[in-house]
Amino acid sequence: MPAETPADGPVTSDPAPLSFVDVVKQYPGADAPTIESLSLDVPAGEILVLVGPSGCGKTTAMRMVNRMIEPTSGQILISGRPNTERPAAELRREIGYVIQQTGLFPHRTIAQNVATVPRLLGWSKDRIAARTSELLELVGLDPSFARRYPAQLSGGQRQRVGVARALAVDPPLMLMDEPFGAIDPITRERLQNEFLRLQDTLRRTIVFVTHDIDEAIKMGDRIAVMRPGGHLAQYATPGELLLSPADEFVEQFVGADRALKRLALGRVRDLHLEEAARVRYGDPVAWVREQLAASSVPYPLVVDADGKPVAWLDEDDLRGERLAEGAGSEVAIVDRDDVLRDAFSDVLQHRVQFAAVVDSAGAVTGILSADAVARELAPGPAPVEPVGSGPTPA
Amino acid sequence: MSLLPAAPALAQGGFVQDRSADAGGEAGCVARDGVCPSWIADNFDRYTGPLGEHVLLTVVALAVGFAISFALALLAHRRRWLVTPIVQVTGILYTIPSLALFFLLLPITGRGFLTAEIALVSYTLLIIFRNVTTGLQGVPSDVVDAARGMGLTDREVLWRVEIPLALPEIAAGIRIAATTTVGLATLAFFAGAGGLGDPIYADLNFKSNVLVAGGLCVLLAVVLDLLVLLAQRALTPWTRAVAS
Repeated sequence: MPAETPADGPVTSDPAPLSFVDVVKQYPGADAPTIESLSLDVPAGEILVLVGPSGCGKTTAMRMVNRMIEPTSGQILISGRPNTERPAAELRREIGYVIQQTGLFPHRTIAQNVATVPRLLGWSKDRIAARTSELLELVGLDPSFARRYPAQLSGGQRQRVGVARALAVDPPLMLMDEPFGAIDPITRERLQNEFLRLQDTLRRTIVFVTHDIDEAIKMGDRIAVMRPGGHLAQYATPGELLLSPADEFVEQFVGADRALKRLALGRVRDLHLEEAARVRYGDPVAWVREQLAASSVPYPLVVDADGKPVAWLDEDDLRGERLAEGAGSEVAIVDRDDVLRDAFSDVLQHRVQFAAVVDSAGAVTGILSADAVARELAPGPAPVEPVGSGPTPA
Repeated sequence: MSLLPAAPALAQGGFVQDRSADAGGEAGCVARDGVCPSWIADNFDRYTGPLGEHVLLTVVALAVGFAISFALALLAHRRRWLVTPIVQVTGILYTIPSLALFFLLLPITGRGFLTAEIALVSYTLLIIFRNVTTGLQGVPSDVVDAARGMGLTDREVLWRVEIPLALPEIAAGIRIAATTTVGLATLAFFAGAGGLGDPIYADLNFKSNVLVAGGLCVLLAVVLDLLVLLAQRALTPWTRAVAS
């Protein structure tokens, strides 16, 4: 964010911590409360995901933050101050708001849509124009979109405009109600990734509502799983949630494949990598066998002159004087920054279930084994030894 | 005025038909009540006065009718329960035959412009009210939700979002009301308010006369309709923006 001119109206740049304190919402005439005493704290600059099946009150909880819905009792504190301190309209101008259907104004151009809150706050024309083009660039839209109307954009482009509009005054807090829910899976994935990258630099406090547990795990720094009737079932980081669901409801909601889902959280670089014997075609077979005996991976890895992986060798390939050119089987190659799930999937698709981990130049930096992934998923003090084998290398 | 035997007093327009001005050697045509081009050409200026009255009757009725309907629609927008009673009352006004309404009003407001306007305005209310209401209700709820969520006050939501988005529907209502009012204003003559009804009823049998006066009515309706349409298109550029 470039420095804003302070003379031209206030811009809050510090993210705001958010707290729900014993918040209850019961509609008049309803048998049961929509929200049953919700208390949770969100540290500044983190993404809180409210997730749960429909009717769990997640959207209601979010809408109480900017007073689109008023709680029956309890308080919501933004930067430690009750959100009822100021008129609702004034409060909302400092809270970014993104909804699933985008809610873009059909009669306003993209630039005018993005400029909505700056205009309400009385920014100067020049400042609005500069901020608008900056925001369009930030969300990856060509400047030529500025003068179009929402009807002329695709669903994904509209949602980008929705995000840009919410970010216009760099609000300390943002509310996002299933922002990527109505978008095709491929575009959704891209928007999620772009948004996370954006959040890395912007560090806003964000309340993100979704019914999709995978999205929750991907987007959330903290996840509040809600149960129908407005109970908070569990409030935890994605890792904790998957490793130790609080009860049966959460366990069911996160799914039977929660171990695999945890693979989406880790990266290859987080794991302990092993070493393989690195050899070149033409090396003496006897020397290769010596190297193999000293390494933890039971296959020698052929590399080229730049250290890039070429092939795995097995017993059949270790014949004759020297290694024959072109021998061996295909190597699974993964990047240090790959998500474990993708890397593991790659490993499973190859006959030799070890993957070569490469750096940005493509050179081997270590070996990822299926066993290392399994150990990551089932951490425990006692190593499980196969019967009749020697000690497994750590 | 065999059409209105019961109300001879009403049929006293200012327009006196003068067939003697037939100078073009078409005496036969005029005598046969035919369509006589040269009579029309010679007598056309006799219709400009009634046309002016007609335009005034129509435009004033539309303006007043729009002001009342629009105010009622805004009132009913936040108080939805008002819609039904307003539609019922304006609906009753709409169904009263206009001539009957003139007679009902005569003892109160007397003959003239006011009586005619009260009737004409009454007929625009239902049409415009319903279209404004439909237009406001047709604004997508997510757009209103986003507007409120970004901190627009109720008044700002109404004037910056809801009314602009309701414009196509509102304009459609004004166009229907305009066309209807041009037609109904021909009856203003019976309330003593002039207009193109004056020449029409002065000599219903003379085809040239009815053709010119009736034709001017149609022309006026078309022109008003186009004006409103053009205004709407100028005010709602987004409706023509299509996906590229």
